[in-house]
Amino acid sequence: MKIITFILAISIPLAANSLPSEKRKNGPLIQDALSPAQVSLQESSAVFYNNETSKAFLYGTVVSDDGLIMTKASEIEEVESYYVRVGTQKFRDSIVVARNDVWDVMMIKIKADSLKPVDFSQAKDLSHGTWVVSNGATERRFRRPRAGIISANKREIPGGAPAVLGVGLREENGDLFIDNITENSGAAMAGLKKGDKLLKVDGSNIKDRADLIAYLKKKSPGDKIKLSLARGDEELILKVELMARHKLYGKGTTRNDQLSGGEAQQSARRTGFPMVFQHETMLNRNTVGGPVFTLDNQFVGMNIAAVNRVEAFAIPGKELSELVVELQKSP
Amino acid sequence: MKCVTNLMVCSLVFGGLVYADRPDFNDKEAPQSLGDFREIQSALQSHLERTRSATVCLQMGGGSGSAVIISKDGLVLTAAHVTSKIDEEIKVIMEDGREFTGRSLGLNSETDSAMLQIEDAGPFPFVEVDLKDTTKLGDWVFSLGHSGGFDKARGVNVRVGRLVREAETTVQSDCMLIGGDSGGPLFNMEGELIAIHSRVGASREESMHVPIREFQAHWDELKSGKFIGDGGFAKKGKPGSGFLGVATEESDEGGLKVTELWKDGVAEKIGLKVGDLIVEIAGEKATKELMANKLAELGAGDILKLKWISGKESKEESVKLGERP
Repeated sequence: MKIITFILAISIPLAANSLPSEKRKNGPLIQDALSPAQVSLQESSAVFYNNETSKAFLYGTVVSDDGLIMTKASEIEEVESYYVRVGTQKFRDSIVVARNDVWDVMMIKIKADSLKPVDFSQAKDLSHGTWVVSNGATERRFRRPRAGIISANKREIPGGAPAVLGVGLREENGDLFIDNITENSGAAMAGLKKGDKLLKVDGSNIKDRADLIAYLKKKSPGDKIKLSLARGDEELILKVELMARHKLYGKGTTRNDQLSGGEAQQSARRTGFPMVFQHETMLNRNTVGGPVFTLDNQFVGMNIAAVNRVEAFAIPGKELSELVVELQKSP
Repeated sequence: MKCVTNLMVCSLVFGGLVYADRPDFNDKEAPQSLGDFREIQSALQSHLERTRSATVCLQMGGGSGSAVIISKDGLVLTAAHVTSKIDEEIKVIMEDGREFTGRSLGLNSETDSAMLQIEDAGPFPFVEVDLKDTTKLGDWVFSLGHSGGFDKARGVNVRVGRLVREAETTVQSDCMLIGGDSGGPLFNMEGELIAIHSRVGASREESMHVPIREFQAHWDELKSGKFIGDGGFAKKGKPGSGFLGVATEESDEGGLKVTELWKDGVAEKIGLKVGDLIVEIAGEKATKELMANKLAELGAGDILKLKWISGKESKEESVKLGERP
């Protein structure tokens, strides 16, 4: 059921008493008071700058003293080339070590030797109402803190496999058929047709929809898979390139997306995370990827999505530390 | 001597307690240290369990908003553009997923205030209301709501900010809001309800709320189910669009005799029968002309009070008009 949510976007100018903007929640006086909580942010945040525009477009989280950085995969690949700043240092070169599309994270390596990584052993669950500190805007040499509170239950955010074929499926008498094909998808370009019966994927038998989804969940956008199909009496094998779900199916702009500033503000990929905690720090798509700390400079997680006007998601420290171990092992 | 000392101690302690009600951080222009942030946090957290349990999601006709329970027996405050009509059945969902049936009471279409009554038996969790209007510009506040609709896994959404503007019938905070929060509660750091979420500005940091003083100004009218004003937050049914589903003729003995009833019409639903005698309409003596005038003036969803005689029994009912087919 589509739920219409009520709110009227009319700003009535209030003629009355007003609090000066520097005293407001995200104002400079509040930022000044946060400065003791800025120390870890300064040391363990990376800032990604677009080479073409020299604009900061994303943050990263430093996870080893020798230059491993975690960041948001779907956002960093939007930019052709970039340089990195950590603290006051600038790093021209970096390489991609590995990525995980289920969590939408990428591990990047810069040539460094004495960085201060986040301390995963500090990570713990925080209760509703606890202040956390993230990167707001940044200066070249100074990471500016921005605060918000834990605002909802820690949970899984549902969403399909991040890499998709671009087809709708129909199950009939234990067989799996292609029921529809999304325009401009890998499936459309490979020449799949409605009514094709799916036999095998990459040489393995696929029993049902769940089987196929489980297989796709292990794949990344850009990967190619081989589909064995029966079309009439013919048997054929087609190679299909998988695409990122959020790119193929877009964001389906809702009223709340409009209220949230749409594409300019919201992370393009903002669903389908195995576990997040939620906070209300005012972030946008260009200020995620960085670490989240408590007022005591204790590391608690990494911002992974600016969801809307009121919600930001972060990967909890424990899950992020497991991802770091896994990605370092990748070939 | 000893007694006097005791009295003095007593009065000091008492004075201290009263003073402690208003947190110190509210009287600073901004937090001076992390300690001030921690005090804001612990004040907020001390009220969360109770305030969350009383913050409900309202659902009707494919729409979703928020609201807050303010009495043990289920009186609820919300926004006029959420209930949008009076005497409407509305589903009430608690944070834990329990569902109750509510009925909208009155609303003010000009300031966006509304009331609703849960019809199931209580007791319900409820919050205290800042009836003395003690909250000032710059005070720290927190906002709750079912942002974007009910989501059991997520639960109630909490946000913090300050009261940044004040006018007579609207207050503004920098607690961020989104669709679905409408009708939800804004609290001071003593855990008292101070306003109801109404609307947002273009910037994420502009949130408008209806202050409790505005509810107090029309409390009895709201509670008795009155549709107040002709503002943009709720529209009365279009005049003439209301339908009773009954045909009548003027009776020699006075009043209107029911000659025909539409199947499933509202007249049938309240128990009118063919042959019954309608004696009063909206408190006045029933005539054909009065009936025609009332129906021309009222719209679908509006309330019409009828008094009639069925057999030897006298009956009275406020009926909500249906939509003219």
